[in-house]
Amino acid sequence: MWETLAQAVINGLLIGGIYALVSIGVTLIFGVVKIVNFAQGEFVMIGMYISFFLANQFGIDPIVSLVVSMPVLFVIGVLIQHFLIRRVLGPNDMPQIFLTFALSLLLLNLALMLFTANYRTVHTSYSDEAFHIGGLYIPVAKLIAFVVAMGLSGALWVFLHTTDLGKAMRAASQNPDVAMLMGINPNRVFCVALGVALALAGAAGSLLMPFYSAYPFVGQTFVLMAFVAVVLGTLGNVIGALVASLMMGVAESLGIQFVGADSGLIVVFAMLLLTLAFKPTGLGGGRAR
Amino acid sequence: MKKDRKASVGNKGDLTQGSPKRQSRRQFLVKTGGILAAGAFGAVPLRGWAADPINIGALYPTTGSMAQIGVGCVSAAKLAIEMINEAGGIKSLGGAKLNLIVSDVQSDTTVTRTETDRLITGNKLSAIHGCFASALTLIASEVCERAKVPIITGSSSDQLNKGRNYTFTPFARASQFAKAQLQMAKLVGDKPKVAVIFENTAFGTSTSNGLKELAPGEGVEIVMFEPYSAGFTDASPLINKVKASGANALFSVSYLNDLILIVRTVKQVGLNVAINGGSGGFVIPDFYKNVGKLAEGLQGVAHWNHDMSDDAQKVNAEYKKRTGEFLFEYAGGLVAQTFMLADALERAASADPQKVRDALSTLDVSKGYAAMAPGGKVKFGPDGKNVYGHPVGVQWQNADLASVFPDEDKRAPLMKT
Repeated sequence: MWETLAQAVINGLLIGGIYALVSIGVTLIFGVVKIVNFAQGEFVMIGMYISFFLANQFGIDPIVSLVVSMPVLFVIGVLIQHFLIRRVLGPNDMPQIFLTFALSLLLLNLALMLFTANYRTVHTSYSDEAFHIGGLYIPVAKLIAFVVAMGLSGALWVFLHTTDLGKAMRAASQNPDVAMLMGINPNRVFCVALGVALALAGAAGSLLMPFYSAYPFVGQTFVLMAFVAVVLGTLGNVIGALVASLMMGVAESLGIQFVGADSGLIVVFAMLLLTLAFKPTGLGGGRAR
Repeated sequence: MKKDRKASVGNKGDLTQGSPKRQSRRQFLVKTGGILAAGAFGAVPLRGWAADPINIGALYPTTGSMAQIGVGCVSAAKLAIEMINEAGGIKSLGGAKLNLIVSDVQSDTTVTRTETDRLITGNKLSAIHGCFASALTLIASEVCERAKVPIITGSSSDQLNKGRNYTFTPFARASQFAKAQLQMAKLVGDKPKVAVIFENTAFGTSTSNGLKELAPGEGVEIVMFEPYSAGFTDASPLINKVKASGANALFSVSYLNDLILIVRTVKQVGLNVAINGGSGGFVIPDFYKNVGKLAEGLQGVAHWNHDMSDDAQKVNAEYKKRTGEFLFEYAGGLVAQTFMLADALERAASADPQKVRDALSTLDVSKGYAAMAPGGKVKFGPDGKNVYGHPVGVQWQNADLASVFPDEDKRAPLMKT
């Protein structure tokens, strides 16, 4: 019994690491730029296709192709902020919602056109391997993804707390007007926030590639969980999103194990409802950090 | 000298004056010769009918989510038509050639309805084949019934055999697939304990319920019966459950992506179960490309397989030469279907769809390309079902699909995993 339970927790934590990368990106954009990026899942998809083609054409390991997918998506993020989002920032939320939603639809259909709906997988030497400890097992590909995801999250935390640019981003997220008065260029900060958030999505894509298939709709699977995690962990709170993602991974896994394989999401959403009922600002205590 | 000059000067005049005469003489010879020759050899074009090609409609999703399979079907359909035409066409119609008219149904039910209508009203068709996916074929079949044009299909839905007169299904029906899967489980061990996991969709629920109903009759114990939400991110918790159930065989009613995750996770867990992936996306070359060596030993069921007979292997070799991949279930069955149509046309000696339909209903073949079906015999019952129709059990062996069940269709021994 404890073995099954422990295995379920391990499974949940490992997939939670991937949810974390996606949700941190969403929460960072919301915290700094104050918009909800509905297209975040599609950037995960782009990251996956970048890794797929690098692996397929040049035999580059998907984990190694992080060094390509992250910078590429960073640049895409900066361009999107500079040429698209900047123009719709204002008191009215609607244009922003339509913009990111349209972007999501556009990227999805573009992918359908260019790559077709076929599933693409990359097979690495460690794709099917697992460490066996006692009666438990830990898949190698997922462990690597989890460790790298946690490393990137840690690096982001250090960036936000120790560098001037990071501090400027936090300042802009806490009070944009005061930050501007202090000489912070909001567009520059917003560009970096978008870039970093998309780079994380790209990283999630590359890390997924050794054990998950790439297809145009793949982002939708992950972005739903990311949105729940963002709300659960308080909008704009990076640490909150991280913790909430891991919790959700575990809740989903336990739900499948002990409630039913088609009820994994029920447990996740029950958790969300309970949190909203008793702590409406989310587990992060309502503070954007 | 003089003569020469005269001749050279007069050259022009000779040409202008002489040429109408010469031409008319030549024309006269050509005309009379032609008529004489036509009379002598009984020139075919003068009779008018035999030069008309026989139009066969082909409805396949060549764009949209099922495009890959649809495109494969069209290549197979073209190959079959070429084979028939090269062998002399339909002899009872003076060697008339078959002409394939392809229409894209875009993996969409609404488009299927309009395209079928358009194909029938815009062309003089003798018969139609299509559409791979049962959901699309059901609609095309309805339109064909109303227009009284025969349709032949490899789609497996049992619905296609209900209240229809122009629909012919030469291959195994959906209800037969479940039974074959259960019987295959008994090959793996004497006391099969089967875990059935299925996606919680119409397809998953109906297929798995079929398995559940038939299991007691086949002496197969189902130890786990669990729906899951299609498109999950992680198969580990589900496989954890399979492990806890103590099953020695796993039936997964899933689409490609979920199945890939399930197969990989089973390997990671180190679980020793025989996996049966069913039909559809499991028996196409793409599955092996995605799963790789892990696919080795995996079992499935199909209505056609390329190693069934010498004829099938011959067609497979040609298809492989053209496309680089083996002839998959649906496309292979389609080649056989085209030959069944040719057989009916030959006996009907007419391109009239009603006469082709009548000839199809009395089709009875046991040799040649038209008989390429598991069991090697095709004869339609009153419901349009092949009375000898049954599925073939297949297994991935050395990057290829081998027929392993039942004994009469077996071409390779079952590999124990």
